[in-house]
Amino acid sequence: MKTPGTIDELLAADDIDAGCAAGFEVLHRYVETELAGGDAAHALPGVAAHLRRCPACREDYLGLLDAVRRFGNDPSPA
Amino acid sequence: MSATPRSGMDEASRTWVDCLRASGTRHEECLAQLHALLLRVARHEAVRRIGSLAIGGPELDDIAQQAADDALMAIRAKVADFRGESRFTTWAYRFVVFEVSTKIGRHFWRHRPTAMDEDSWERLPDPIPLLPEHRAELREVLTALRRAIDEDLTAHQRRVFVAVALNEVPMDAFAREIGSNRNAVYKTLFDARRRLRASLAAAGYARPTSAAESI
Repeated sequence: MKTPGTIDELLAADDIDAGCAAGFEVLHRYVETELAGGDAAHALPGVAAHLRRCPACREDYLGLLDAVRRFGNDPSPA
Repeated sequence: MSATPRSGMDEASRTWVDCLRASGTRHEECLAQLHALLLRVARHEAVRRIGSLAIGGPELDDIAQQAADDALMAIRAKVADFRGESRFTTWAYRFVVFEVSTKIGRHFWRHRPTAMDEDSWERLPDPIPLLPEHRAELREVLTALRRAIDEDLTAHQRRVFVAVALNEVPMDAFAREIGSNRNAVYKTLFDARRRLRASLAAAGYARPTSAAESI
């Protein structure tokens, strides 16, 4: 069972939230912007808002971030 | 390799796209190489995600294999959509990360069966010590919230809110359980949250956190 930090956090729903499907479509851009040291949340605010509220997409984001760090430079085909 | 440069696409990404569009041996070798790469990512991601789920080695490997297979299929179907906005591998890894999530969701109920706890609010642990008057305010807000959950949400919204927001059932596992998908479950959760906020505001708790800063 959840022990929320605040009721406000539990009920948060941002107007600019991009949603799961739209967020997935640009998640690769979000991650690369962040890894390049850019402000991904500023570039894609709707995705940033979504990642704050959606635990499933946030896990995907963390997984993609980790995957690109570890396997992003693996060799391409000859 | 194609002689036609694609705007903004790096060399390695262009090589991936070209070999996926090629035919014959080059195409087959490209698929095998990409699948091997996706499988490595899938194995790593599956291990990263399993957490407290008691999923063993063979089962984990099965999840990774299925995720890599399905991700490769999705990538082949969508490679024409790749515009070089990132490296090809970053674009492609999205698919395998997503597939690992959905595959692990299938195992959730078997390995961590969680009953839907409709009474979560009633058994919330006591908040950190508050002044007596703040505890009274907190109780009021919680009572109003409980009433709003019971009376103002649709049955479907209540089910989603209780499962995902209160009981922290993974969205992919819950979506599979009810024959839906992540996007639809999140939309329902979003609408439920807005409705509950509106209900609290209408009941005079326009800023519920000001009355309950820590629960």
